[in-house]
Parts: sequence; structure tokens; C-alpha cells
Amino acid sequence: MRILAFDTATAATAVALALGDGTVATARHDPEPGARPGHASQLLPLVVGLLGEAGIGFAQLDRIAVGVGPGTFTGLRIGVATARGLSQAQDLPLVPVSTLRALALTADEAPAAATDPEEPDAVTLAVLDARRGEAFAAAWARGAAADPALAPLLEPAALTPEALEAAVAALPASPLAIGDGALRFEQQLRAVGARIPADDSPLHRVDAAAHCRLAAVLEPVARDAVLPAYLRLPDAELALRRRDAERP
Amino acid sequence: MILALETSCDDTCAAVVTADGVIRSNVISSQGVHDRYGGVVPEVASRHHLELTGAVVEDALARAGTTLGEVDAIAVTQGPGLVGALLVGVATAKALAAAYALPLVPVDHLHGHVAASFLAPDPLEPPFLILIASGGHTLLARVNDHGWSEGSIELLGRTLDDAAGEAFDKGARLLGLGYPGGAALERLARDGDPHAFAFPSGAKVPRLDVSFSGLKTALLYKVRDLGEEEADRRRADLAASFQHAIVETLARRVEQALAREGGGSGSRSERLSIGGGVAANGPLRERLAQLVPDLHVPARELCTDNAAMIASAARYVAPLPFPSYLGLDAYATGERAL
Ligand SMILES: [Zn+2]
Repeated sequence: MRILAFDTATAATAVALALGDGTVATARHDPEPGARPGHASQLLPLVVGLLGEAGIGFAQLDRIAVGVGPGTFTGLRIGVATARGLSQAQDLPLVPVSTLRALALTADEAPAAATDPEEPDAVTLAVLDARRGEAFAAAWARGAAADPALAPLLEPAALTPEALEAAVAALPASPLAIGDGALRFEQQLRAVGARIPADDSPLHRVDAAAHCRLAAVLEPVARDAVLPAYLRLPDAELALRRRDAERP
Repeated sequence: MILALETSCDDTCAAVVTADGVIRSNVISSQGVHDRYGGVVPEVASRHHLELTGAVVEDALARAGTTLGEVDAIAVTQGPGLVGALLVGVATAKALAAAYALPLVPVDHLHGHVAASFLAPDPLEPPFLILIASGGHTLLARVNDHGWSEGSIELLGRTLDDAAGEAFDKGARLLGLGYPGGAALERLARDGDPHAFAFPSGAKVPRLDVSFSGLKTALLYKVRDLGEEEADRRRADLAASFQHAIVETLARRVEQALAREGGGSGSRSERLSIGGGVAANGPLRERLAQLVPDLHVPARELCTDNAAMIASAARYVAPLPFPSYLGLDAYATGERAL
């Protein structure tokens, strides 16, 4: 199956193309530290570049997979709008993929994921920086992220640092924590026994090759139902609800 | 045939327009979800655009009796507007165009409002004057030709603070009419005396610019002076006088522009077009029709934000061939001189 996948949930723009013969080509853009994400300007050039190198067009694809987050709202919308547009134009099946699940899968499959190869981590915790001092996090038993039939140990959620600590402490084993949020909340996570790969480990980065693997086993979803996993209401809605709650 | 998308504010729009400016379809999905917040919330608008764009595009193609494979180019509003909202349209348009290696035409939203006057069956040929007044913009300009390059459109005046539609909405809020209140204020004003109260109509503002912030403050003070009971009793008079001040502010500038432009040959002074949501206001139309017998008023659905006007503008902009537009970004504020 030929699958085009991309993810714009983090500052990175990650793209992958699985050609059905087992080969997966990837391309990515990571902004300089502190620079704006390049989702709008990078995504389609990277996509068209990969297709060009493979010598195929959109019409030769079997599926499109898109990372639906959680992550940055504007980034997610650029990715999902692009995926929906391509899918609509070419009538291609569309598969939404959890960015957290894809992160966990990458770690599960990396040979160097465990510090101790004799005793690999039993749990993988994917954490993304949710801004506002919060984290988006989810956890799977090692190996479970690859199987859509297996439920996560921790459902994806937006968590305060305190709630994150409590959620990690409640896991059946100390996890391997990965993702930009694992670095952002390193102190809190280490305090509850999580192990975190070095700052420059590729495990912290979203790799769309994982989306390709997941999209091969996940069912496509009706196009209009593919939306970002925001996991958080707009600020204006939160403010309104707070105001309503304070009213006598 | 051009398929256009417009998502700069809170209307999700798609349209199909022919090269001759014939509207084959013009679909507008007004989100109507912002009333509870008392204004358009960018994040809420962006979420809704993403939900609606696919269906709106499909609807526009179906109503036009065509398919993506048959359109010649895709146009999209690039800016100015809410950047998160614009990006949904830009990403969608780029993807649709890339899938068929179609050319893409990025359009400035204000060029779109001008180009609404170029649409069939009653196109207005430049040169003419145009007043664009909405919740997002208020400007008076001379349209020299159909394009959007240097010299195509000359800005004569603009608001120094609030847009005219914003002034209507703020006035409506002060009178307890909710949001968006422009239409409600106009309705209430029908039963009032426009000369009951003298509100400032920006005579001191230099050149052909306008200002509405003083007007809003004047209404606030007037309501306070009258006291709750009296202000409530005279709401219709307050609404009528407030509306009158906005109409006069705009009409005077148009009058001055006409006099100035008409100084020479006189030929270009006779035609005026209007656009933007405030162009739907009855008293404004009546007042301007007195000034210009040949007032050009596009249909209401072409005055408020729509994609047919974006497609119309795209007919006069050089299209970007595939793949040169793949990295195209949106812009929030006016990046050109206008
Ligand atoms: Zn507008």
C-alpha cells in the first residue's frame, strides 16, 4: 500500500512516503530554536518533493495519513486542511493518526530505546509541550502502540505538571518518556521515576514513518470527520464557562 | 472557470465563477457561533472553517455543475484577516490545486470587495470610486483598473480607528442590542428621530479619513447623561441619531471625494460603488443615492464576505503556476501600500 503521511502537531513538519515495497522515504523541517514553525511554507513542498523522488503522483497513492495531534492548534489545522484537501481532490481514503501514538511507536521500535537491552522499558509515555505550562500526554504498554485494538494505559489528555506527575505515578511501571514535552517537564517526570533519553535523541521528534505504519493497520475515516484532537477548548469558551459558573 | 475560497473572518465561503464573471455558484456558510462571545473569536472561527471547508467546496462545485478536474485555476484569500482562519483556506486551496497541478491565484481580501463590482450581469467598468465599509474595513478609494498592482487602486481615505461595522456593533452593544447588532440597530432606528441627538460625524478628521471612536464615546456619555430610565425610553432616538452620524461621516467623505475627483473632466466623478456588510444599511444607500444618481450597489450577498468576489478578483491577477505556490503563506495585515 502506498501511503503518504505527515504531521504538523509540533514545531516540526514531518513527512513520510511508504511505497508498499517496504521502503519508507522521509523528509522534515525543524525550525531554528525560537523561530516560527514552517508548516504553511514547508509542508506541501516536502510532500511534492518526496513524491517527485519516488516518481509518482497523488493519483498513485492508496491512502493519506495525517497526524491529528494533540499539538499546536494552527499547525494541526494546516496539516488536517492539507490532508483533507488532497483526499477530497483525489478521492483518497484518509486516516487520522494520534501524534502521541506515533511518537510512542517510534520509541517502541527503536533498538536504542531502552538503556538496558536486557530489561526494556515496560511503558512508553509520549509527552508534548501543550504551552500554558501544561503537557499533552498518553502512555502505552511497550509494543501496544502499534496495535489499534489495544487501549492506552493513559488516554491522551492535557495535564498540568501536577496531574502529569500523578498520572505517571499511577502507571504500572516507570515509563520511558519521550517527546518535546518530556524535555520540557523533565524535572517533574524524573521525580516520579520516568527515564528520558538525551536531549538530542531522535526519539523526541515526531517521525511520520510511524504514521505510515499505523495508517496501514488503521481504518480510514470519513473525510469530514477527520479533525484535530484539540483536547482543550478555546480560551474564549473557557472564560465564558468560568463566568457562567461564577454567576449566582 | 475559477474555484475560489474565502475564510478571512467568520464566513466559510466557496464559489465558482467563469472567466466572463458569471457566477456559477456562491456558497456562504455563516458560522453564527460567535454571538455568545460578543465578537468573533479567532480560535473558534478557525475551528469552524476547518469543519466546513470541505463541504462548502463540494457544494460550490456541485451547484456549478462542475468538478475539480474541470476548473482552470483555484483562487484563495491570502490576507488580510484572521491569520489562523486564512491558513485553513490557504492550506485547503493549495492542496486542491496541487492535487491537479492547477495554477493558484492568491487574492487580497480588499481587492475582492472591489472586484464584486466587476461581476456579471451588471459589471461596473473602471474608473469609479468605491466605498468599502464592513466590520473589518472602512475605506474610500479610486479604482483605476481591474487589477491590484501599483496604481490600480488609489486609497483616498480610511478609518483611523474603528471600522464602520465595528462602530455599529459597539453602538448596538451600548443600547443593549447584543452582538452582532448592526442590523438590530438599523431596525430600532426606524422608529426614532435621527436629529434627536447631535452626535459627532468626524468633521475635524483630516483629509478624507474617518474616525468612529469619538462617536462611540459620545453615545456612551449620552446614555449616562440621560440616566437608565430616560435612555431606555429614547432608545430608538439614540439608535437613529447614532446611525445618522455614521451615515453622515461616510457620506460627507464621499461627497468631498466626488467634488475633488470631479474637478477635472468630471467624467469619473459620477460613478460610485459600495461594498462590505455596512453597504446593506438602508439609510446609507439612500443617502449615497442622493449624492450619486448612478450608485452601483452589488447584491447583498456580494457585499458581505463571499468567495465569488475573490474569484472575480482572481481574473485580474497573474496566476502562480504549479509548483511555485506550494510554500505560500497567509498574511494577517495589509502588506501592500493600500
Ligand atoms: Zn470583508
